[in-house]
Amino acid sequence: MKELYSYIQFQFFRERELLIIPEIFLAICAVIILFISPFLKKEGFTKIGYISLIVLFISQFFILKDIFYSKLIFDGFFIIDSFGSFLKSLILIGAGLIIFFYLTVSNPKSLRRSEFSILFLISVVGMLLMISSNNLLSLFMSMELQSLALYILVSFSRDDFVSSEAGVKYFIIGSLSTCIFLFGTSLIYGLVGSTSFSEISLFMSDLYSTPTMLIIGLIFILVSLSLKISAAPFHMWTPDVYQGAPSIVTTLLSTLPKIAAFGVLIRLLVYPFGEIIIDWGKILIILSISSMLIGSLGALRQTDIKRLMAYSTINHIGFILMALIPGSEDGITSICIYLIFYITMNLGMFLFILNMQRDQVSVTAIKDLSGLYKTQPLMAGCLSIILFSMAGIPPMAGFIGKLIILNIIIDNNLFFLAIIAVLTSVIAAFYYIRLIKSIFFDEPIDDLDIISNNHSKYMLCGFAFFNLTVVLYPQFFLNLCASITLSLFAVK
Amino acid sequence: MISLPILPILIVLPLIGLIFIFFSSEDDENALQSKKSALWTSACNFFLSLYLPINFDKSIPHFQFVNSFSWFNSDNLRFALGVDGLSMPFVLLSTFLILTCIVFLLPQSKKNMKMYLASFLLLESFLVGTFSAIDLFSFYIFFESILIPMYLIIGFWGGERRIYSAYKFFLYTLLGSVLMLIAIIFLYQEFGTISIPKLLDYTLPFYIQVWLWLAFFSSFAVKIPMWPFHTWLPDAHVEAPTEGSVILAGILLKLGGYGFIRFNLSILPDASIFFTPFIYFLSVLAIIYTSYIALVQEDMKKLIAYSSVAHMGFVTLGIFSANIQGLHGAIIQMISHGIISAALFFSIGSIYNRYKTKEINFFGGLNLKLPKFSVFFLIFTLGSIGLPGTSGFVGEYLSLLAVYSKNTMVAVVSTLGVILSASYMLILYKRVFLGSLSSNLDKKNDDINFYEIGVYITLVLLIFIIGIKPGFILDYTTPSLERIIQLYPISIF
Repeated sequence: MKELYSYIQFQFFRERELLIIPEIFLAICAVIILFISPFLKKEGFTKIGYISLIVLFISQFFILKDIFYSKLIFDGFFIIDSFGSFLKSLILIGAGLIIFFYLTVSNPKSLRRSEFSILFLISVVGMLLMISSNNLLSLFMSMELQSLALYILVSFSRDDFVSSEAGVKYFIIGSLSTCIFLFGTSLIYGLVGSTSFSEISLFMSDLYSTPTMLIIGLIFILVSLSLKISAAPFHMWTPDVYQGAPSIVTTLLSTLPKIAAFGVLIRLLVYPFGEIIIDWGKILIILSISSMLIGSLGALRQTDIKRLMAYSTINHIGFILMALIPGSEDGITSICIYLIFYITMNLGMFLFILNMQRDQVSVTAIKDLSGLYKTQPLMAGCLSIILFSMAGIPPMAGFIGKLIILNIIIDNNLFFLAIIAVLTSVIAAFYYIRLIKSIFFDEPIDDLDIISNNHSKYMLCGFAFFNLTVVLYPQFFLNLCASITLSLFAVK
Repeated sequence: MISLPILPILIVLPLIGLIFIFFSSEDDENALQSKKSALWTSACNFFLSLYLPINFDKSIPHFQFVNSFSWFNSDNLRFALGVDGLSMPFVLLSTFLILTCIVFLLPQSKKNMKMYLASFLLLESFLVGTFSAIDLFSFYIFFESILIPMYLIIGFWGGERRIYSAYKFFLYTLLGSVLMLIAIIFLYQEFGTISIPKLLDYTLPFYIQVWLWLAFFSSFAVKIPMWPFHTWLPDAHVEAPTEGSVILAGILLKLGGYGFIRFNLSILPDASIFFTPFIYFLSVLAIIYTSYIALVQEDMKKLIAYSSVAHMGFVTLGIFSANIQGLHGAIIQMISHGIISAALFFSIGSIYNRYKTKEINFFGGLNLKLPKFSVFFLIFTLGSIGLPGTSGFVGEYLSLLAVYSKNTMVAVVSTLGVILSASYMLILYKRVFLGSLSSNLDKKNDDINFYEIGVYITLVLLIFIIGIKPGFILDYTTPSLERIIQLYPISIF
């Protein structure tokens, strides 16, 4: 009996499935919290929020513990490697920060429900599973888990017409994306006879010429993932959903699902489809050019900050996609670095948007920023550092990210792409400095409420400080990300 | 001897002053405490920067006072600082002009004085960094960072159309320099290093040089500015506050000339020869065309702004004639323009502070009201014209001499610019200072104050010193410039 017990423990947990403990732990906790929540009082949502924060923290610990392991688990359904673990811990840090934002800023009444944190946790589980999927089926399931939770979150303000509209829009587009994904998967399954990444990779390596059906299947999957990362021309939903969703959910939408989807995209394109880089490279070129163009031109005439941030996201996504085109190790390293900077910039920006209130009512128009300098000089300074960073003006972090990606692009002789990238980033700089203009140069029309919340103040200062000081020692990020991308190519 | 890490100190010291300013809790328009911190910081920085010429070895053409730090990559992408004869005068010019700006500011009050002073200290740090960077990435980072304080200075404290001008300044300059970024990255990929001294040893194929040259050109031509890219300059100058214009004309424009010598001429010599006629054409056009535009300006600042474009035309002529006289001429012309145009903008600032207008028509017979001031202004005017004995003469003369040896026609046509500059500057002086007293000027009668006199006297002295003995500067620059010339292929232009 004792032997059997130790055998089970050894075989079943310690050896293989233990590595997926973070996801299992998160999922179980989410379910437990769901059962606890009805028994709590009306203001229990903060308790639930803090519990979720602790849960996220613990799973972060689990992930960091095994960050250097690399293993296939559940018969190749999932893969654990340090690339995935890195993105997962990035997601968990982001998730922790967002939950903390949620707990510290004053939310509208409709958001003060314990379901928020639970749905949030479930979507995070989905994202983590997405990153470690090693099979089109497990990928599909985890993507659905993530999306379904997000659909609800987007339409969380039930009484708000705009939020519900955004929810419906997001749901329809998301379902369409799912259909397209499944269709692509079925085509690939029909050809390869398996949905496992390893099998697909094996199939590809024996091939003399690429079957058209495979490329069509890949295109369908790429379209579906482009809808997820909102790369143009599949970006249509982004501005509306960003604007309609409650600000805290927009914060979530603009950061974490993008990391997860990029993790999937990188794993899918580099590992099973690495052989046909010539085919998907062209698709990515089109996607990235159109994203950068639409992201920069579309934002020029926006008057709402959340809408503007949607276009800004599209622009950044285009920039990141560019680095994937060579499919090289350096390219993926630069994507990881850019994602770190992108998250800090976006979280900082949205932290401010969450705190933008006038007479306790949230406002999001650009002209509401005018004269911010007069009332809150420190916040204005921090916000403009973050905005300059987004615009990619040195010496901010955003510039370092852009520099590293451009370096990769030029290394691969894609000069036209580099020129388009820098020109669009000049156009994009225009709308970022337009915000800075509002903050510093315009006369205040009607002052915003002064941010009384110390947590938000300190965190905003922290994000600004990070963006300002990365330039002193960027080597740290370079070394970190280079060491984690190694694992991705070790599988090959 | 243990060498002092002087360049990092010069960069970090203003930032320390910045911290002091941030923590002073005053919010009024006078901000006495912040003024004191800014004055002390900039004065310290200026006197520390005198360490450079004192300990500079004049016989060595290479970079001196080199400090390098591990930055991106421990071997070939370091954060390196150092000066040679070419960049040293500009470092001094930066620290000097910032100091004069802050002295000039002392008796004044402005909205948000604290932040204004802070921007200038930030600017000083970036400017010293730009001129002393010997690694292209660090150069680019400093070069671009300057946009941030300058955008705030123009947009926050500027005149009526400040926002438009701030945008225009920001986007023009950014658009120019992003292409340079691509060129820099390309150089890095090609050679695996972007340390400027190492790049001098490499040669590139001609067709690549041409593209890189154009990329660098796009950045520096906007900055210097050359003729078709100059349209941001009058707007930015007119709308910027006095001290902003001083820094803009005094130092920022020189970044373009410095970049041309440092990168286009030294690293890409073949392409420079190829493009020399093109540069001659643009420079001559700039000299003649903008001089004519300056003649009809009704705003004093705009007039000086257009005259700057014309004067920078001589600089580009001098640089791309690529002989030692030309480079000497360009350097002296840049330094001298840095001093004279700064002085002119200070003067216009003095006038503006008293009468709140820069319209030329508003004035007349100002010498009756401000006698001391009008003497100073006359000296600055004559310096700008290039009267022998002033620094302006040396620069223009050497540049024209160099061009004459290469292309007589260009030299002859551009000499017309000297005559035109005399006419627009003298007409300006006549309309503002001479003649009968304008009826608008009745109310006030306070001549320039102690601080202004101090600033003007220093500037006048410098104009004469450089005009009479340019060797003070040229002794330092000659070895470095000669090395650039030696590497330069013989050209037919």
